[in-house]
Amino acid sequence: MTTGRGSLADLLFERGGPGRGERLWPPLSNRWFILACRLLLAAVFIYAAVQKIGRPLLFADEIEMYRILGHGPVLYMLAIILPWIELFCGISLLTGVLMRGSALVLAVVNVIFIVVVAYRSAAIMNAEAIPLHRVFFDCGCGFGPTYAWRKLIEDSVFFFCALMVLAAPVYRLVPGWRKG
Amino acid sequence: MLRFRRAACIFTAYMKILRAITQAILLAAVAAGVAFAFNAVQPNGIDPFRRPAEVPVLDRSGGEPRDSTAAPHEGIAYISLEEFREILDAGDPVLDARTAREYEEGHIPGAILCDYYEMGTYFPKVLPLLAPKMRIGIYCTGPLCDDSEMLARELFTIGYTNLCVFSGGIEEWTDAGLSLETGQGEER
Repeated sequence: MTTGRGSLADLLFERGGPGRGERLWPPLSNRWFILACRLLLAAVFIYAAVQKIGRPLLFADEIEMYRILGHGPVLYMLAIILPWIELFCGISLLTGVLMRGSALVLAVVNVIFIVVVAYRSAAIMNAEAIPLHRVFFDCGCGFGPTYAWRKLIEDSVFFFCALMVLAAPVYRLVPGWRKG
Repeated sequence: MLRFRRAACIFTAYMKILRAITQAILLAAVAAGVAFAFNAVQPNGIDPFRRPAEVPVLDRSGGEPRDSTAAPHEGIAYISLEEFREILDAGDPVLDARTAREYEEGHIPGAILCDYYEMGTYFPKVLPLLAPKMRIGIYCTGPLCDDSEMLARELFTIGYTNLCVFSGGIEEWTDAGLSLETGQGEER
């Protein structure tokens, strides 16, 4: 694996192909699988971002419903910034610029999503005395109300895809195209 | 030789992680910069340091008898359907705090659309129709919806003091068998 030489181009783009002696889990070296992961993440996060950009107050209220952050600067800043981070990550996954960084951001973001959705689900289960499979709420993700278990599975899949992209050695938009 | 290759692998992994973290920080910083710039110029942008206003609240939603000679309550009063109808009959303004789509699907006749989450878009159109001391009725979907109260709080912070929130909202209105207008004002 070629590592960076310190230039901006090296930081922005990745050079393809595993290095000598690198043993890879087979799906990681399958460029079509990695491309599918990238396109899935890009589509989901660009769509989610577009639903939230321009309505920060609504998104702040949706975050506040998790009862983790109260009304205040942290909540409002998160409501302003998070949709744009999702949008930039989506564009990055499509274009191949800052790929590894956006995959890392999405992996971290999805872990946080899983934790907070589980926390909110537990609160609803306690409050309404219902099992997990009946917990139905609007997670504020930009896709409308859904079942909590379905959201947890979706976020786990996105986390897995982000990890795949993060660990994969090949970073190109079109498989077969080689940069440099 | 084996030790050298192992060290090279560790170094490669270290460089990958370092690069990923650098890229992530760069990406987050650019996204944050664009987000704040966009928030500053768009009409529905919010001040991240805004604080919820302290507003005196009075609950008359149970239809408690009122002293008509007393000065109006300064702040938010939760009102019953009967009192809300009095506001409509008196010709005082009534604001619908829901979205434009919900408004067009059906709203209380005579209500003015003022989506709480897009105040920046609607305030320039709505505020010229209101006077600070005017009695203003506000509603949203129903008892579980707090958009009407949130809109009332925002109006209070900019100088409107006689705010009547009909917390029963559209749900109580339709349950009472009263008609709605659709679109921009067709009776249903």
